Amino acid sequence: MILRAVEDTDLIRKACRGDVEAYNLLISRWEKRVYNYLLRIAGDREEALDLSQDVFLKAYQNLRKLDDPARFAPWLFRIAHNEAFSAFRKRRPDREAPGSSEFPADEIATAHTRVFPIELSIAVTTALSKLPEEQREAVILKIYQGFKFEEMAEILSCPVSTVKSRLYAALDVLKMQLAPLKSRGVT
Amino acid sequence: MSCSPFDLRDYLFGELAEAERRQVDMHVRSCGGCREEMDRLRITQSTLLELRDEEVPQRIGFVSDPVFEPSGPRRFWQAFWSSGPKLGFASAAMLSTALVIFTFSRPAPAVTPMIAASVDTAKIEQQVSDRLTAEVRKAVAESEVRQQKKTAELLAAADQRFEQQRKSDMKDVAAAISYLQKETNVMAHVAYEPGSLR
Repeated sequence: MILRAVEDTDLIRKACRGDVEAYNLLISRWEKRVYNYLLRIAGDREEALDLSQDVFLKAYQNLRKLDDPARFAPWLFRIAHNEAFSAFRKRRPDREAPGSSEFPADEIATAHTRVFPIELSIAVTTALSKLPEEQREAVILKIYQGFKFEEMAEILSCPVSTVKSRLYAALDVLKMQLAPLKSRGVT
Repeated sequence: MSCSPFDLRDYLFGELAEAERRQVDMHVRSCGGCREEMDRLRITQSTLLELRDEEVPQRIGFVSDPVFEPSGPRRFWQAFWSSGPKLGFASAAMLSTALVIFTFSRPAPAVTPMIAASVDTAKIEQQVSDRLTAEVRKAVAESEVRQQKKTAELLAAADQRFEQQRKSDMKDVAAAISYLQKETNVMAHVAYEPGSLR
């Protein structure tokens, strides 16, 4: 069990008082999670990094508005979600975010081959990219980020029932595609 | 289709309470279909987790800029307000100071204010009484003046009516006397005329 000498809540309080070093320590604890969340949504390392920087800057500017420091994680991911989809809208106002079912799956898989060279990872990336945007984000938040349904509802600004519906619809599709693949021992 | 008492996907994602998890565990042990479904879900989850997290290619960090940092006094003030022990000590010190000041500067015993209060009440009652008496006197005087004026007016009117009546009566008397004298003169003239007795 890893015990942290300083809790996130303490760092948040210090950062609120203008302690930039405390905020940098807080970033170091969360940057990997935020970056990977954005990477799986955007499908591009450079864009994910740019978005991550924007997210942490916006979080710093609005840190005093965070009522409950214990709710920092869903609050931070809410900012990440908003930043990502705002960027997608600016970039492609009349189209969905990258990785949606409207994009050719083999093209995305090729693009991600460089990112995840293992064959199973490619299969997963391809399967995820075929999902509708909202279902893919629900899977990312639940499977990869481990958020509870209530936290996901807070991040996505929708009811828990909607979150579950999106996630389970995605899970049905992924189960059909991925379970036989692993059972056959593709890896 | 699962026949489990609770959703197997909720079980998989750790969204069930402990009692509910136990019920699902018992059911899955005895139900082949649900066991197979649970296996498929677990395989799907583990396959998804094959996609590992990447390291951030470049560390994200911010540089402290003095322009955005609070000033010295402000830092002290913020540190003061954010420190519980400092605030507690300051509160205790202020309370002690207030008690000392109160002890040395408190007013005379409580009896004096009571006497002062009774004296004040008597004075106020006296003032009220004096003012009331003066007002009553003033009102009575005004009333008397009004009454005297009215009486004088009534007397003047009565005198006027009496004088008019007296003049009228005098005129009537004068007229009666005049008539009587005329009658008397006529009778006397008739009596002394020589031919009238014949």
